[in-house]
Amino acid sequence: MKLRTAISQVKGLHYLMESMQLQSSLGKRYLLDTYMMYQANEINQELDLVERTYTIREGKKAGLISKIQTKLMQVRDIKGSLKNIQSNSILDDIELFEIKSFALVSNAILKLQNEFETTLIEIPDLNHVISILDPENNSVPSFYIYDAYSKDLAITRKKIQELKAARKLDPEMDLGAKLDILENKAAEIEAEVRTQVCENIYPYSNDLEKALNQVAHLDVIIAKAILADNMAFTRAQISESTTEYKAMFHPQIKEALALSNKKFQAIDIKLNQSVCFITGANMAGKTVILKTLALCQYLLQFGFFVPAQSAHIALVNRILVSVGDDQSEQNGLSSFASEMVKINEMVEASINKENVLVLVDELARTTNPTEGRAIVNAVAEIFNENNTLSVITTHYSGLNKTCRKLRVKGLDKEFKPGEINKNNINDYMDYALVEDDASWVPHEALRIAEILGINQQIIEKANKNLLAKS
Amino acid sequence: MPFIKEIEKYRSLSIVGLEKNTGKTECLNYVLSRLSGSNKQIALTSIGVDGENTDAVTKTHKPEIEVYEGMIFVTSEMHYQKKKLVAEVLDVSTQSTSLGRLVTAKAKSSDKVIISGPADSMAIKDLIAQMNKFDVDITLVDGALSRKSLGSPAVTDAMILATGAALSANIPQLVYKTKYIYDLISIKAVDEEIKDCLLPIQKGVWAIDNEGNLTDLKIESVLLIEKAKDRLFKKGNRIFVNGAITDKFLNFLKVQKQIKDIEIIVRDFTRIFASPETFYAFIKRGGRIKVLQKTKLIAVCINPVSPDGYCLNSDDLKQALEEKLNLPVYNVRELSGH
Repeated sequence: MKLRTAISQVKGLHYLMESMQLQSSLGKRYLLDTYMMYQANEINQELDLVERTYTIREGKKAGLISKIQTKLMQVRDIKGSLKNIQSNSILDDIELFEIKSFALVSNAILKLQNEFETTLIEIPDLNHVISILDPENNSVPSFYIYDAYSKDLAITRKKIQELKAARKLDPEMDLGAKLDILENKAAEIEAEVRTQVCENIYPYSNDLEKALNQVAHLDVIIAKAILADNMAFTRAQISESTTEYKAMFHPQIKEALALSNKKFQAIDIKLNQSVCFITGANMAGKTVILKTLALCQYLLQFGFFVPAQSAHIALVNRILVSVGDDQSEQNGLSSFASEMVKINEMVEASINKENVLVLVDELARTTNPTEGRAIVNAVAEIFNENNTLSVITTHYSGLNKTCRKLRVKGLDKEFKPGEINKNNINDYMDYALVEDDASWVPHEALRIAEILGINQQIIEKANKNLLAKS
Repeated sequence: MPFIKEIEKYRSLSIVGLEKNTGKTECLNYVLSRLSGSNKQIALTSIGVDGENTDAVTKTHKPEIEVYEGMIFVTSEMHYQKKKLVAEVLDVSTQSTSLGRLVTAKAKSSDKVIISGPADSMAIKDLIAQMNKFDVDITLVDGALSRKSLGSPAVTDAMILATGAALSANIPQLVYKTKYIYDLISIKAVDEEIKDCLLPIQKGVWAIDNEGNLTDLKIESVLLIEKAKDRLFKKGNRIFVNGAITDKFLNFLKVQKQIKDIEIIVRDFTRIFASPETFYAFIKRGGRIKVLQKTKLIAVCINPVSPDGYCLNSDDLKQALEEKLNLPVYNVRELSGH
């Protein structure tokens, strides 16, 4: 899967991409075209680069990174011109200009990188390309078919200038076909020179392509390191079996809360290669936990640091999420039907013993509780039997006792009536997870509805109904 | 050397024709030829496509734009390929116009070039700002005054107006129409403070109270003023209108009882599409109008020949305009000795 695709599926990922300080459109394209990685060594290689950049930015040579970024800003995406070189076609002045200005900035970045103890990313030296396109040795990013390429051209151009100047002085002067002949000659020589220049460049097309990729990669690495720094991300360790986060947070929600002077409570969570239920009151952040788990998994496998204080993450081949906020009406399915289609895919992956991460929010919540509970237990049993790394949030009680359960602490602090309202409920909510082996789930729906200030009649009548039942 | 010294005082200058065939291109060529001798670095571009060989509308001869050695010009990729002169590519834009990317190049010899440029005001403003990179002293913009154009020449510091028989074959009528544009260009600018607040706003109708607070009046356009009459003056009599000012709107304002307290702010003079009669009536009743972006008109050029061959007396026209406008008026053809 390419990052481009993942972004369209995971909103939190999109937000992070927008926050990245990529300096060139080239870097942006490179990043979006990155494939998800499944091999530990591949991911570690990328993370090593990000970590080195991260460390450099904290040290004495931090200025060099900003200098490289300034250069990266000047990089243009010469993919089109490069394609023409690779197919051995003749380039026009604008394309040659692009090649030259890229080669100059690429070499400038190469030079800046040499000031590090070891090079961050290998970039081929494009000196030969520059010397072909810079016959007058100006080292300025501009290009035309210079007089220096051909004595004949220089002479012809001079003659044209002289003729034009003469005509200017004496507009009546009859130049006959002289000017035309000279202009044609100049155009012919220019074409010859252009062909020669292009032929001289063809052998370096691989170097150019590599440089283009490496420069783009450098842009991405630096942007990843800055993102990690700005958002207090950490480098995850790749684990063989368990996935464990200490102080994991959702960057987008954290930032949104920070804007209104609120704090995001980071949570710890540990997952084994089996199913895990998460229970807890409404508004206790269960959905956020699932979204963060998905986000972190993607971030790691696309070579990013993750939003946590520390993290050990097991690699997976696919991430399957059912968070019920998609537009099921659009494909003509009811919310229950579209959920079941998704769950089916997950269960099949589980039965096939695929290495997946499965995240399900409030499984079977849109049907009657009796059957709903039965479905939840059935699905959980399958995940358990097949050791599928999976998390299911639910409000149902009577869950399968053999499955592991985590509960969000929720509103367990003491508070006076009227003390909490919908604006400050977040301050009273404890989002931490605790191991839980009780078969019942928290019954706080009415309490929270009351805090949210919904019509009192509902609360009263509902309470009456509950009393009547018991 | 008329008005060239004046031009050198500004960072950017647009040359604008009041009508097709009012001699704008000749005027531009004249300015370029005079500037070619100066030691200032000149850059040249256009709003949208211009500089075609023949006028697409009337098929009359239209002089091309002569670029001199050492000048910088910005044109689209398509027109760059057609150039006859030798030029060094300095930059290629990342964004594309309908005619391809914009190429910035420095002329290595002198010849005629087809100049085309960005189509909207923001892009032209950016382009002028970017010319700093190439040590440009003055950027000339081949401009157009057209309702169809998204690009307003008012983004330049100074302006030269080209008018002539193509606008009207009757001298008093021609003077009246030109004087109207002159009056619009002369509309006073708002204070810098308000300008900075309003410039970034790209749409809607806004009220500005005495403390300088802005309120969006939630009126899409003053074209729909009929439906929003009640809301317009809720937050005071100072109104910023992003879009066009029309006859209908000015006529509506004219009959308000607090007309003397009303102040309308528009982005620049090209947003006023009202007829001269309505505009003058609004002003006469005591209404006030201001612009965010003001440009300085430094000269008027005339072309006494109309595309259908009719020729006005150049001296009479010059004299009539000079009396009304209090500005130097030139017939470029006479100046360049054709």
